[in-house]
Amino acid sequence: MSVIPILEWIESTDLSTAIREGALLYPIIGGFHLLAIALFGGMVVATDLRLLGWAMQRRAVSDIVEQTRGWKRAGFVLVVASGLLLAGAEPLKLYRSPSFWVKMALFALVGVHALVFRGTVYGNPQRLDKGLTVEAKLAAVLSLLLWAGLIVTGRLIAFDA
Amino acid sequence: MPVSFFEWLANSPWANAMNGPEWAFPVVQSLHFMGFALSIGTIAMVDLRLLGIAMRRQTAAELAHDLNRWTWIGIAVMSITGPLMFSADAVRYHYNPSFQFKMICLMLALLFHVTLHRRAVRSGASPLLAKLAGGVSLALWTAVVAGGRMIAFV
Repeated sequence: MSVIPILEWIESTDLSTAIREGALLYPIIGGFHLLAIALFGGMVVATDLRLLGWAMQRRAVSDIVEQTRGWKRAGFVLVVASGLLLAGAEPLKLYRSPSFWVKMALFALVGVHALVFRGTVYGNPQRLDKGLTVEAKLAAVLSLLLWAGLIVTGRLIAFDA
Repeated sequence: MPVSFFEWLANSPWANAMNGPEWAFPVVQSLHFMGFALSIGTIAMVDLRLLGIAMRRQTAAELAHDLNRWTWIGIAVMSITGPLMFSADAVRYHYNPSFQFKMICLMLALLFHVTLHRRAVRSGASPLLAKLAGGVSLALWTAVVAGGRMIAFV
């Protein structure tokens, strides 16, 4: 069974057509996607910098991790929701875009990252207040790389033929 | 500024580099996005603190002090990558209303950031003034991002 008819159906829905063909809807959702990236991507980076010991050293690691957790979760939902709307506007184009598939692979790795480091870093930050562990620094570096990769591949989608 | 300046800019070596390989523009643009996530993201954290809805375990002054360096690193990245992208098609951007809107908002946002915003953060201003400063800052930076996004669509 091919996925193409499903993508064609998505592209034929009123919502998809409205986002794709309306003058304003696509840039507005795109702007929202970007703003959510700025706000919540900023919090991800700030947390990573704390885990590396490069920023906010005066504050305990657990203070930063706990205070940003809810915002990052909400931001994740907003970025994904706006991303889905943008993707739903042109699923056939994305299906043929290599950058899109690399981005989705990185996205899957974000989930793996969260699961792998939940026990040792994000879910249990109090133990890092005594001192930063190798796991914490590794989690931060991988998080920054994934985050940068998502931005680059996201931007490259627009330049894929 | 005379149009000839923008024509000269569009024919500069770095403009040619931007218009050379296919990947040049999207890569510089990605760096621009990372720069604004870093700068606007950290500013927004302080703004949310001023509004009293995030990062409440520290004062706005502490938070701003601890994040200030990273905010300015982000702004530095943006002020290198932004003009690079601009020079790739300087004459057209110069006439683009979204670009003009973005630049006006950017000037206002930066001016606000180093004057009234800074004062509200440092002085432990009254809750009302702090909220006002946080709200205005968020609105200005939102306008900068929104204006930037619209450049490609007008």
